[in-house]
Amino acid sequence: MAKKTIDWSPGNWPKLLFRFFTSFKLATIVLALMTVITLFGTLDQVDNGLHAAKVKYFHSFFVIHKLWGFPLLLPGGLLLMLVLFVNMTMGALIKVRKRWKGAGLLISHFGMLMLLAGGFITWAFSTDGYMALYPGMKSNRVESYRNWQLEIMPLDKDGKTEKAWILPSDELQSIRSDEQRTYQTGALPFEIVINGFSQNATPIPVSAPMAAEAEGKEIDGFKLSQQKASKEAEQNLPGCYVEFRPAEGDPIEAILWSGSFRFDPRENPMPFTFEVGDQKYGALLAKKSWTVPFEVKLDEFIFERHPGVSTARNYESRVTRFESDKPDTPLEIKMNEPMRYAGYTFFQESFGPSGSEPGDEMFSQFAVANNPADQWPLWSLVVTSIGLGIHFVIMLVTFTTRSKKAPANAAS
Amino acid sequence: MSLQRLPASAHFLMNSPVAKTALCLLSGTFLLSACTDSGPEGPEIVEQELPSAHRTFKLVETSRERFRYQTRSGAGDAQAGSADSGAPRLVYDTPKGWSEGTKSMMRDINMTFGENGEGECYVARLPGAGGGLAANVNRWRGQMGAEPLTEGEIAALPQKALFGQPASFMSVDGDFTGMGGAGTKSDYRLLGVILSSDAGAVFVKMTGPRALVEANTKAFDQFVGSLDVSTGAPGS
Repeated sequence: MAKKTIDWSPGNWPKLLFRFFTSFKLATIVLALMTVITLFGTLDQVDNGLHAAKVKYFHSFFVIHKLWGFPLLLPGGLLLMLVLFVNMTMGALIKVRKRWKGAGLLISHFGMLMLLAGGFITWAFSTDGYMALYPGMKSNRVESYRNWQLEIMPLDKDGKTEKAWILPSDELQSIRSDEQRTYQTGALPFEIVINGFSQNATPIPVSAPMAAEAEGKEIDGFKLSQQKASKEAEQNLPGCYVEFRPAEGDPIEAILWSGSFRFDPRENPMPFTFEVGDQKYGALLAKKSWTVPFEVKLDEFIFERHPGVSTARNYESRVTRFESDKPDTPLEIKMNEPMRYAGYTFFQESFGPSGSEPGDEMFSQFAVANNPADQWPLWSLVVTSIGLGIHFVIMLVTFTTRSKKAPANAAS
Repeated sequence: MSLQRLPASAHFLMNSPVAKTALCLLSGTFLLSACTDSGPEGPEIVEQELPSAHRTFKLVETSRERFRYQTRSGAGDAQAGSADSGAPRLVYDTPKGWSEGTKSMMRDINMTFGENGEGECYVARLPGAGGGLAANVNRWRGQMGAEPLTEGEIAALPQKALFGQPASFMSVDGDFTGMGGAGTKSDYRLLGVILSSDAGAVFVKMTGPRALVEANTKAFDQFVGSLDVSTGAPGS
């Protein structure tokens, strides 16, 4: 029996690559691995929460999963979906023989590619955050649920400022708890040294018994105690040790804790303050924020409770949208009835403050999402359904025609 | 080896500028993913104008205020919190036979009971998770000479309502060595309730000779159940 040989010469690589990326075997393996990753990711979610599991298993090129204590290196969801996208594009759209009979399958594969492309766009370009407002408050500022940044701002005597220097959250949150990183900018007369960043921490007074177990330096009667990261990443309260080193004079040390930011939309954040020269500065761990191109004012928050208990029965917000050169637009945002405008979607998410009693003034919280591929899953399903429908009709017609011909052939 | 035997669509893939761009983008994604760590130093700090709603900051004098530790009132006050500030205060029912002890910086409420005041019950609050449930449960067990519990055992601890929320309850017998290790007291019992929430952690801890604590268990439950926060006028 003749043995198949493969030509590995460089000139044949494009052909080998093409054959590899268009093969059914690759598609099968990728789909099987996606099933495995989905299973492991779902199980991991139980221990580590939804966000952490999503990042580890689905937003990654590779993932190390421990199975009964043994580390397994697996391709991450991002890599698998990229490979599947290439495989389907090359195999099902380019390589496949173009004929009318295959039109339905071609369309349905295109729909599946739309779904994958939509997933990629969501991963790469979407943003999600929240806006919390008391009645009468107006804002265009959206805050991140999970991303914290370091803000350093010059302050006047009343604690006011118009600008800040920002160490972005991607950089800040990549610092390990045992790592030191130094930053400087010509605009500030000091270096900034971060001595370890904890994803979840509590400042504990040294007089408290649990302070004995907290590692780290004592500053102003406190130590920063590292906590296990919460399953719900938005509940983590990060902290860090920081040092400001002016060109002249002693360094200024501080503990920064995200709990000094705000728990309520009316609170003003409480920065650590220090002076270099004649200028007062504030340093703060603040939530990453961005603005939307219009302002939203909460006119009224309607909150109904079940009789006799404090559980919410219904809550909705009456708001006005303000935009320059456009008339003010009053509207309602309810559960399952979001406001969609200028690419942003405002969902009625929750309310606060926690533990509020009947009669207390309450704030309304909106989830604010911006996803360019928001509707792509719907469109892709429509396209895939149309493709499968066409394929079904073609197959039905072919079958019926063949059935009619068969007896005729048999008779002849 | 030429591409002669490849289908025409494959030639398109290899030669089309659109396809080449797509491949470059694809490889660029891989390269970008390898470059997320920008190293120990760099010009990452950027200047930004702050939105109008984020331009006023509260200036505080101490780390204690910045970390949301409320100033405890001095010894002898009837209840925690400043009586004339209108700030939220802890209110509770004092069980029969219990008496107010001296408050300390870390204790909002400090009670003693028993003939010689050998039984003790206090309430303490900390912002954040206050060291974490597991660390505190096992620290208290350590004070009683008991082995630490596993995470699973801690998660399975019974619950009691504290401020209307489910809090972990523990009971452990042993020889008690309190803070500072000032002597060991034999045949003691420790009852503890720990509540960890977004707003902070609350600890209620009772210690005393086992028989005395046993006799005061109902009083402990009554005390824990009566704890509340009042925002009303002083004395309410």
